[in-house]
Amino acid sequence: MLKYFRIKQEPEKVVPDLGAISISLLERDATLPFTIRQLNNLPENVKQRMYRGLIPPALLTRFGIDPIQWTNASKEQMVSLKAEENSEKVLLTAQSSPNVSDEFFALELADNSLNGIELNLIVLNDPATPRYSIDQTEDGAPTMFGTLKRNLRAEEAAMQAGLAPGQVRAGLGSSRVVLEQLEAFLSMLGHRAYFLEPLTYASAWVFERRGFAYVRGHKLMDDIHREFQPGGKLYQYLDDRSPFRKRNQASTVRGCAWAIHDGILETLDLRWDNIRMVKQIGRHAGVETFSQGTY
Amino acid sequence: MISTHRMTRAAYLESLEVFRGFIKERCAAVPGVTDEILYDMQLAVDEACTNIISHGYAGMDPGSIILDLNIDSDKITISLTDFGHAFEPSSTPIPDVDAPIEERELGGFGLFFIQQSMDEIDYQVTEDGNKMILTKFLRKLDGG
Repeated sequence: MLKYFRIKQEPEKVVPDLGAISISLLERDATLPFTIRQLNNLPENVKQRMYRGLIPPALLTRFGIDPIQWTNASKEQMVSLKAEENSEKVLLTAQSSPNVSDEFFALELADNSLNGIELNLIVLNDPATPRYSIDQTEDGAPTMFGTLKRNLRAEEAAMQAGLAPGQVRAGLGSSRVVLEQLEAFLSMLGHRAYFLEPLTYASAWVFERRGFAYVRGHKLMDDIHREFQPGGKLYQYLDDRSPFRKRNQASTVRGCAWAIHDGILETLDLRWDNIRMVKQIGRHAGVETFSQGTY
Repeated sequence: MISTHRMTRAAYLESLEVFRGFIKERCAAVPGVTDEILYDMQLAVDEACTNIISHGYAGMDPGSIILDLNIDSDKITISLTDFGHAFEPSSTPIPDVDAPIEERELGGFGLFFIQQSMDEIDYQVTEDGNKMILTKFLRKLDGG
């Protein structure tokens, strides 16, 4: 072992502070990555051209939205871009109809402290499916997708309908194409990786299948899977004490995710916290912590 | 390039045996790979992974180690990627193996073993991870 091993005290920025994007900057080394903040400081129309590349055109046309103008057949704006000058974040949302309040698509990217890219939010909801109000209590207070407070009645109904924790509707089944589009966009900017913190066990499993590895929490995922096996400690606590802790949940990713959402990790003094994942652009890590898992 | 292979495991000691087995499975039948070469590669990966586990991911729930194996007709390249703390190879002193045993400090031999086992070592800190790239040549290159 390396007794003399020295770790770097100050991580270096992966993207240098280059200042405003200009033609002369574009003419320089094409491998130099750009930050979200730099894009946000571009003129509005240039910015819109750039960020148009974040949404798969086929996803928009599926809902009758023009992928260039972002409008429906009635010329109503269906896609919203929030990318304020000097901000390090960009939020893109799309709705299927002016009458439907929920977005079917939401994606937020941000620069991190090293000028790498964070995927802060990705929502892909099928607006044609029933809505479960797990995001607000019965008196209307926000639950932060069940992380701050819980609407147990809505959560139970959502679970029985086959949703995972954190979902208000069934998914669109488009995560692969959306993440591939995101990678194409980030490679255009010159980035080699991006990062995220999965909200739930189920979302971490989905991101594994999409090629992510772990910056933190790979061992925790292994531990969780092992302890949900028959004879494991978490398996023992699937004891019907709540609707979210049924014995048969151990066999599916969603079942384990609901039990974790219900706090089952506390029985092992663990928490679903601080998990961090990374995706290398163009590469699949091949992580599979719940091998042969049924979603 | 003849073939490429990838395996990703969590950074804890139980993964070392899996990596050793993976290298053996993919390389043992490659022309030019002797038992000695196989052992050298396994030893180097063992030491490099131990460093990642002990130091790279120190103080956090361990993340992943990605092992990429590139097999060429004349060399095998093993790339180990992690996402923990980066290290400073230039600040790592090489232990004095000629010193009397009672004067030697404990530890400090990991990088030394890697250097002894492999023909080339490179270390890069990039946006998509910390990469230690280990190369083993399968036959001596002819001079001239």
